[in-house]
Amino acid sequence: MDAPDETIHQPVRLRIMAALTALPPSDEGLDFAQLKTLTGATDGNLGAHLDHLARAGYVEVAKAFVGRRPRTTVKASRAGRAAFARHVAFLRSVIDGA
Amino acid sequence: MTIDAEQAGAMLAEVDSIVAKVKRSRVYRQTGGLLILWGAIVVAADLIGFARPRWSIAAWVTANALGAAATFVMLRAAAEPPSRMPWRFLAAFALFAAFGLLWSVGFGHFGPRELDAFWPTLVLFGYALAGLWFGAAFAALGLTLSALVLAGYLWSGPWFDLWLAAVNGGGFIVCGLWMRRA
Repeated sequence: MDAPDETIHQPVRLRIMAALTALPPSDEGLDFAQLKTLTGATDGNLGAHLDHLARAGYVEVAKAFVGRRPRTTVKASRAGRAAFARHVAFLRSVIDGA
Repeated sequence: MTIDAEQAGAMLAEVDSIVAKVKRSRVYRQTGGLLILWGAIVVAADLIGFARPRWSIAAWVTANALGAAATFVMLRAAAEPPSRMPWRFLAAFALFAAFGLLWSVGFGHFGPRELDAFWPTLVLFGYALAGLWFGAAFAALGLTLSALVLAGYLWSGPWFDLWLAAVNGGGFIVCGLWMRRA
């Protein structure tokens, strides 16, 4: 691979994908609050980046109510896992080629 | 878009840092349930030991059997894949139990108070060691509760079982609740 993934390259989206792909595929994913803590993003900023990743097909966003509280859960899709693996491989190739 | 080696290195370091945090958080979430379970078991068995000292041994044998079975079920459900047997946990549990029985029943000549202090500190020593691999919270739990158990052994007088229920059992429950939110 000789180019970064334009969608994942952005720093907040890189952190989101790193967090989501650290979980096994069978895991339920991370909720919005956990992602906010991990990425250091604001609500609006995180929401916009999740929309971007969902449009690319890299994450699956599920919204549900737990009691009376809305809960947004995010998982990496199979395509997202593959894209993230390729992006990490590209970053390693940059270091190895230096 | 061009990226130099320094930028790529910084991004990979960021990825590694996030992955480590997520994995630690996942271990804490899974372990939190176990700590709450064992905290409740310790509270129940210590309260029985305080109220009915003659039932203490039977209460602990029953509590440990129930706790071990529930722990096995919870670990198996959390394993990847779910059907995998948690052999390492079973082996670690068996080794700790064998060591504890060897000294408490065989060579130790412990009195009831010493036994009450020995088992919790043995288990907490395991947690302190686990902290070296799985997250500082385990080490903090093991060392802090060990110090409190020893303080109770030395200074709590006839209230030692109650002290253990509150400090050891309660400490496990509080730490478990914190870990589930971490």
